[in-house]
Amino acid sequence: MSAGAEVRMPREANAVDFWRGFALVSIFVNHVPGIYYERFTHRNLSFSDSAELFVFLAGWSLGLLVYGNGMRKGGAAPLTFRLGGRSLQIYMAHIVISGLALGLLAGAAYLTDTPPILEWHNAAAFFQDPAPTQIGIVLLTHQLGYFDILPLYVVLMLIAPAFVIIDRFAPPLLLPLSLGLYFSALVVPFTAPTWPVEGQWFFNPFTWQAIFVMGYVLSHDQGLGHFVRRNIARIRLIALPIVVLAAIVVWFELFPDPTTFPEPKLLFLHGKSFLTPVRLLQFLALAAVFSAVYPTIARYLPWVTEPLSMLGRNSLNVFCVASLLSLSGQIIRFLYSGSLAVDTIVVIVGIGLLCLTAWLSEWRQRLGSHA
Amino acid sequence: MPNPMHRSHVFPALLAIGLVLVSAGAAAEAEVAPPPVSKECGEPGIADRPLPYSAAALQQRKRIKILAIGASSTAVLGMGRNGSPLLERILERTIKGLDVEIINRGFSGELAEATGDRIRIEVALNQPDIVLWQVGTNDAFAQVAVDEFEASVTDTVRWLKEHNVDVILVGLAYAKSLAKDAHYQAIRMSLRRVALAENVLRIGRYEAMEVLTRTMAQGGGRPELEDFGLTEAGYNCMAQYIARTITVGIFAKPPKKVPTPEPGK
Repeated sequence: MSAGAEVRMPREANAVDFWRGFALVSIFVNHVPGIYYERFTHRNLSFSDSAELFVFLAGWSLGLLVYGNGMRKGGAAPLTFRLGGRSLQIYMAHIVISGLALGLLAGAAYLTDTPPILEWHNAAAFFQDPAPTQIGIVLLTHQLGYFDILPLYVVLMLIAPAFVIIDRFAPPLLLPLSLGLYFSALVVPFTAPTWPVEGQWFFNPFTWQAIFVMGYVLSHDQGLGHFVRRNIARIRLIALPIVVLAAIVVWFELFPDPTTFPEPKLLFLHGKSFLTPVRLLQFLALAAVFSAVYPTIARYLPWVTEPLSMLGRNSLNVFCVASLLSLSGQIIRFLYSGSLAVDTIVVIVGIGLLCLTAWLSEWRQRLGSHA
Repeated sequence: MPNPMHRSHVFPALLAIGLVLVSAGAAAEAEVAPPPVSKECGEPGIADRPLPYSAAALQQRKRIKILAIGASSTAVLGMGRNGSPLLERILERTIKGLDVEIINRGFSGELAEATGDRIRIEVALNQPDIVLWQVGTNDAFAQVAVDEFEASVTDTVRWLKEHNVDVILVGLAYAKSLAKDAHYQAIRMSLRRVALAENVLRIGRYEAMEVLTRTMAQGGGRPELEDFGLTEAGYNCMAQYIARTITVGIFAKPPKKVPTPEPGK
């Protein structure tokens, strides 16, 4: 241990880490389609799901980093270097878990003599035409199903320096520019294409950037963030009926026929890929309402907030492991039939392994501080 | 006083007659022979059913839009070399002057219920003439209850018919090891029931792959590919079956019973 080295202790449980951990657990469960416990995640009563929460909090965390460390007032070069480095880290994590996912699928197909498993998760192109598909994976233009949120995160972190620079020199312009891009992508419409399999990104980066920027803007007590904090009680009064109405619509499946909407339809549809306004608005309402409950949960259920916050503090590592565990859960359910007992084991072991991943990440950090 | 209910029945009836005439017109001008299916692909054994809305689109616009959605787009469209999927190339080669637009929205891993929601959105956005839906494998793997699966697929197929969109269901994938998997086979039979009950085309991918795997094994193909059953040749056979089915469907004789849109559509 070097003399004078400080022991890096993890930060205390807080609302942002708690909700990030909550989103990670929800993503893990939702990415095992058909599992019994998916009926208990909040998407069953909400237009938006944990993906919106995850990206919003990624923007929020960027805001905390930039404002907390004084990066906003620093030069453009160090800012770009640091955020670009983070983007590269996420990119490498994505490439590694995509490779492991392909290995899992191939292993399951081989060991069980069930070739159709090779077609799961958009993997067919890789196994049948590996050369162009491998190029596509490296370029992020070929994404495995349920492994498509990190490419969005890579792009968002790559363009984050531009957000921060605009925020530094012309703060009032940041949100209008972001919303301008958002509505343009909905009205024209446009998105990022996939290759070699012709199609489009599951998460349209041109629309999903809006929720990332909103998280960033609302994270600090200036401008819109200041306004929201001052008026949060009134905002919750408006938000609560939106949340309740959305829950009723989702529960009773009261969605109108999407073909009856006027053009441009994406302004009115309920669609995840384009993060349509109805989802975005409902998510913001949900966030406003549920931001009130963290202190109560922390007070009465610390055994819930502590582990979830630990997951949230180590979100990238936990997300990567969660993605692989979800895929493993799908394979296990196929092999052993999706009984309630199997589903319960998958969820309990899965969440346990996520906690272990987070704990090991912090343990390694502590070791690092002693090295 | 005119009876609005009566009037609401007149429009669908006229539309149905129009579709019959259009189909008949298309059939009449049809000098189009269905594209051949390679010998090694075997006999697809697909029941021919008309695709009246696609026939109308061909007649009116010389253009058809196909929305490919569901489990594995590679498996139904064929390998996309030279910039476009094999299915698109076969159809454009077979039907002179036809412009085929394939909208690929495959999302692997998704269950039928979730795909049903996405189909509604994609139909609203893109107004396809045909929805080519590969469905069943994911639900079987995910152990979705058979009645839930059947209800989801039926609901979406009916919605598509009500919205004047032709439907082709592409069934589950084949593997020798799945032949004794009771749930897998139950989902397979369930899809067959839906296709029959709703009078829509179903391409038996399972049966086709079974034939192909046997043919390859007899022909001395590469053992590792036979073991895995899924090959580029297999995908391209599927694209050939589907191209043949669409061509036959478009130029089919007028249906005895034209799908009648719901009142008010």
